[in-house]
Amino acid sequence: MNTTTAPWLIVALREVETKLRDKAFIISTIVTLLFIIGSVALTGFLANRTSNFAVAATDDASFRVLEQVIQDRPEDVELSISRLAPEQAEQQLSAERLNATLSGSADAQEFTLTGFNAVDQELSSLVREAMKTVKTDQLLAEAGLESAGLPDNEDLILDQLHGDSERAAMASAMALVFSFLFYMAAFLFGMPIANSVIEEKQNRVVEILASTIRLRQLLAGKIIGNVVLAMIQLLAFLSIGLLAAYISPIQIPFLGVVTQVAGWFVVFFFGGFLLLAGIWAALGSLATRTEDLQQSSGPVVGLLMAVLFIGLYAKGSFLVVASYIPIVSSAAMPSRLLSGEVAFWEPILSLAILLAACWLVLLFAEKIYGRAVMHTGGALTLRKALKLEV
Amino acid sequence: MLELNHVSRSFAQNLVLDDISFTVPGGALTGFVGANGAGKTTTMRIIMGLLSADSGSVSLNGQPLNGATRPNFGYMPEERGLYPKQPVIDQLVYLGQLHGLSRSGARKRAMELLARFGLADRAKSKLESLSLGNQQRVQVTAALLHEPDVLILDEPFSGLDPIAVDAMSSILRDYAARGVPVLFSSHQLDLLDVLVDHLVIIQDGRILANSSAAGLRATQASRHRLSLGSDTGWLRNEPGVTVIDISGHDALVNFDSESDAQRVLATAMSRGPVAEFAIHRPSLADIYREIIK
Repeated sequence: MNTTTAPWLIVALREVETKLRDKAFIISTIVTLLFIIGSVALTGFLANRTSNFAVAATDDASFRVLEQVIQDRPEDVELSISRLAPEQAEQQLSAERLNATLSGSADAQEFTLTGFNAVDQELSSLVREAMKTVKTDQLLAEAGLESAGLPDNEDLILDQLHGDSERAAMASAMALVFSFLFYMAAFLFGMPIANSVIEEKQNRVVEILASTIRLRQLLAGKIIGNVVLAMIQLLAFLSIGLLAAYISPIQIPFLGVVTQVAGWFVVFFFGGFLLLAGIWAALGSLATRTEDLQQSSGPVVGLLMAVLFIGLYAKGSFLVVASYIPIVSSAAMPSRLLSGEVAFWEPILSLAILLAACWLVLLFAEKIYGRAVMHTGGALTLRKALKLEV
Repeated sequence: MLELNHVSRSFAQNLVLDDISFTVPGGALTGFVGANGAGKTTTMRIIMGLLSADSGSVSLNGQPLNGATRPNFGYMPEERGLYPKQPVIDQLVYLGQLHGLSRSGARKRAMELLARFGLADRAKSKLESLSLGNQQRVQVTAALLHEPDVLILDEPFSGLDPIAVDAMSSILRDYAARGVPVLFSSHQLDLLDVLVDHLVIIQDGRILANSSAAGLRATQASRHRLSLGSDTGWLRNEPGVTVIDISGHDALVNFDSESDAQRVLATAMSRGPVAEFAIHRPSLADIYREIIK
């Protein structure tokens, strides 16, 4: 009848089981997964969308403008043009077979672009540009000049010393994703550690548990259970997101880099979350009621906000420093890795610092937890907890 | 046999247990009584290893207790401790597993005990949906799940209705009959009177009595209770008689010998009618009150 299942494993399994039976957890996970798939699909759709316009000209000058539009239009705009009599054009527009009609004044100086109930902005700006070009060419021709000699937007070439702008845009978008995932997990899985410690303390279950197994095993089981859940959820989010990006028909740039950095992020997430789990458990043991946690968790919440904002906005040497500070580094180092200017030893050093901090915090958390969780009476401060006799 | 040897414990200069020693014999129910704050719960927590003693030791059958032997204890804390929002059977299985039972073994055992308490049909209910008395039964079930070698119960009878008191009493007697040392605290002295075989009395952190119930009763067995038709004040002048209490027609006295008793009875009968002349069998409640005076 006796089995040799380690107590921490039984505790960890209970944490996992309780969470998996929690409908709110299951639903929020599924909704997030759908959101990830949806946003990858939407990005692809937006990138791949072409606009189709059918426009009729009611006179020759207008037709020349439309021809110019066809010449200048960007790749994702399709335009079919026709030359119709005014009444016929109006009829077709009323029947919504046309997006717009274009008619010019007698001197071909003013044009009217008429839509059914609105004129598409993209179309109107294309027509506006084309009209300017046609009229300018006309003026130049009258003055005996060639339009090719005119100044052009293309004359200014954009360049930058480091990286390229597309990569920088990708890096800041992914930094947002990583920071947010960490922030979310810290609350979604961290807070329950504190709450379950408080629940056991408040209901005095901990007395029965402590008379059965060692408190160290109880604490370890709680932390391991929630770390495992957080890691599984994170891996599901990342793999579904990356998979959707890979099978998407659209070429998403830097997918290789993103995948590689996602691997690093998983490792940094693990270290950062483990450290936070220790802090949450210690905070839970100091409280006597769930309400106490709202006060005592202030500094941790502040720290997590810092992680989020550093991941989003930190730049330059500030970001470099942040990428070595435990917990903050879980978002900051992946963010730096995305931009691609990190020496190979940097993430390794940062990770070593993180794991060392993790070890120290967990030892400290165990000390606090072991003393405070058996204490009855009011909420404790850190100082009071350390003075408690076991 | 569970033994406490010279155990002391203080909290911040405040001596809560002062060199206490007592035994909890196997195969007997041991009652643990004392006023609130006398040190009962602290003693039990030290036995369970939840608190450490400043000095002294706890041993079971001569072996000092450590982490390896404690898991065989069944414990019910004073402030009840289970998960209110979890179904009864789930938490019992969890606790059973922590005690080293397999999942199915724990479930089977929990269902047996719940059935015995008449709670089999509530196994899937959340604990908080049960009445306080039923929650208490679940609590005891949790303490008994793993067939403990020693039972330590802090106030197991508080809040129970008479039927539940009977069920609890019969379960405790069963365990004692198996040779398991059972220590439980209670404020219900009349209940202790019918239930316990051994009594430990604690006051202000000191043990005032540690003896079998029969032994305690024997210390007062030479007392007689008299109820006469007239005033009993004359007993004060009789040789070989120690008056303990006199009020009007009634008296409680100690005779030096059986012949003194017979002589006084004859005198009493010659003075008038004798309504009662009986050996006084003190209840444990009387003994307790006497001892803590």
